[in-house]
Amino acid sequence: MQTTGLINRFEYKISKTFLLVAFAVFFVVPNAIAAIGCDLNDPDRDVPRLFPGSTGYNTNYVSFASSSGAKLLSKVEERLDRRYIPIYAPLNVPYTVYSVINGRKLIGYVHGVNQKGQYGGNQVFVSLDLNGKVKALYLQKISGKLAHRFRDPKFGRKFIGISMKDFDSYDPISGKGTGRLAEIKNPAPEAETDFLSIMRALKKNLILMEEFGYLQGRKK
Amino acid sequence: MITKFQIAYKNLLRKKSRTALTLIGIMLSSWVLVSLLGFNRGYEAALNRDIDNMGYQVMVMAKGCPYEAATLMLQGGKGLRYIETSMLADIVKEPEVDKTTLILMQAFFDPNKGDDGGIAGYFGVEAGTFPAMKPFLRFYQGAWFTDDSAEEAVMGFEAAELEQRVVGDMIMVPEVDVPLKVVGILERTGSQDDGTIFVPLKTLQKIAGIDKVTTIGIKVKKDADITKLENKLYQLPDVQVVSFSQVKQTIMKLIATARLMVLSIAVVAIIIAMVGVINTILMSVLERKQEIGILKTMGAMPGDIFILVWTETLLLCGTGGVAGVVFAFFFAGVTDILVRRILPYAPGGGLVLIDLKMSLLTLGIIIVVGLLSGLYPAWQAGRIRPLESIRSDS
Repeated sequence: MQTTGLINRFEYKISKTFLLVAFAVFFVVPNAIAAIGCDLNDPDRDVPRLFPGSTGYNTNYVSFASSSGAKLLSKVEERLDRRYIPIYAPLNVPYTVYSVINGRKLIGYVHGVNQKGQYGGNQVFVSLDLNGKVKALYLQKISGKLAHRFRDPKFGRKFIGISMKDFDSYDPISGKGTGRLAEIKNPAPEAETDFLSIMRALKKNLILMEEFGYLQGRKK
Repeated sequence: MITKFQIAYKNLLRKKSRTALTLIGIMLSSWVLVSLLGFNRGYEAALNRDIDNMGYQVMVMAKGCPYEAATLMLQGGKGLRYIETSMLADIVKEPEVDKTTLILMQAFFDPNKGDDGGIAGYFGVEAGTFPAMKPFLRFYQGAWFTDDSAEEAVMGFEAAELEQRVVGDMIMVPEVDVPLKVVGILERTGSQDDGTIFVPLKTLQKIAGIDKVTTIGIKVKKDADITKLENKLYQLPDVQVVSFSQVKQTIMKLIATARLMVLSIAVVAIIIAMVGVINTILMSVLERKQEIGILKTMGAMPGDIFILVWTETLLLCGTGGVAGVVFAFFFAGVTDILVRRILPYAPGGGLVLIDLKMSLLTLGIIIVVGLLSGLYPAWQAGRIRPLESIRSDS
């Protein structure tokens, strides 16, 4: 009788394990496979460059569907001003967030967004410390003959230290305002659309990181 | 009066975990088998659909460069070879030819794509002939070019989505910095057209500074002999002829290895499941030896016992088989994703197509093989001697 009991318990354990494995295979894996979005072309190379001092990173996927759904999307669109800064992503499209680590300690994030530019979609990445301050801005893709001026590292460095607070006194839709963002000069005045596109992308980036719960401080 | 089915059902419920594990084994083998059959059917259908979506069955291109798209990706415009447009006059003379279209593939280096730059590909097509080759293309916004030399572009759905373009927006051809106005965005087709940017042929020729083309697409008349046409086209100077029936055969050969691998897995899964069935039923018979002995003393014939045990096998295989088919049907999308990750080439659309006929066939195979596996335990049960069994247990 005791042997039969042991066998039954063993069978129960096996069937439970099997169910867990089956659940993981069919429900967890497809989500990971389906993850697409604005990714770094070569994160192994790009993350250390965008975040000096990092020793590694973890890739996370987050979407409105996996957070608070349509309610959160609506809130983000409201903060972005939906007339001018469309998100271009339905509810279930995951955003890629690279959590940057030093040893085992989390030290910041790298996150990118797509933003409509003059001649194509711009891919704007920022590396952020845990307080949401920009450590580096990187234009992975931008179209147009003046694109090189925006990709110039000198232009990117002007954004170091910028945070969501700086957008309180600057409107990326009109390009008008005061403070640090207003002081950043457009390196290609002929391509005003692309300059504003970068500003809007930066705001979108910071808002998304706040609303997805990665940044401290300003998230309601 | 209690039926044999009810007795068999109650017997199976006595050892729930063991029955569940056996069921899972049968379900998995049924799942793998029906998915494999669905894949065999779905892959070929998807491949045919992709080839039909090309719009033409034969392509003529410059000799020595049959893989234009690959060259485009690896070397950009530099490695491409061209053919004279005048060759078209010789081709249209052939009686097998229904329609033709001139295509120019061109690639430009975009230094602002990533750190190392990237290649941006463009498809130069004639507004007069190309749409007729692909009547299934529908516009999400806008329409085809206004004329063959307009500085305009039509974008596939995914290309437009990536570049975040709508009709009226501009795109810039990198390297040469020529702006083009987006006049149309195609609906999603699930084919390579989704990621393509179409430009009027003459415009692309002007931008690239060449007056030749890379490909002539030929739509063959219905029931025409494609092989005969291919042989005639080979007589043209310095051309390579690629027929999509050849392409299909090559791809199907590539896929044959993957199919064989999955078939082997299905066979192994069925064998494992059937060993599980034999084990479960045999264990059940041995544990119930005394009961079977009593049944026999009460008048049950060996045939009755045989049928009773065989019914248990039938119930197990039937339930597991049905569950496997249902899972395969509902998770066909997941199977599709997994299969795509391992295949060297996966056409657009569903790769796993499961229908009722296929489901019944699978169920039939599982039940027949299951019943064969149940023969030995049922025979063993039938030949149990009542007095011996009662005595041995006491």
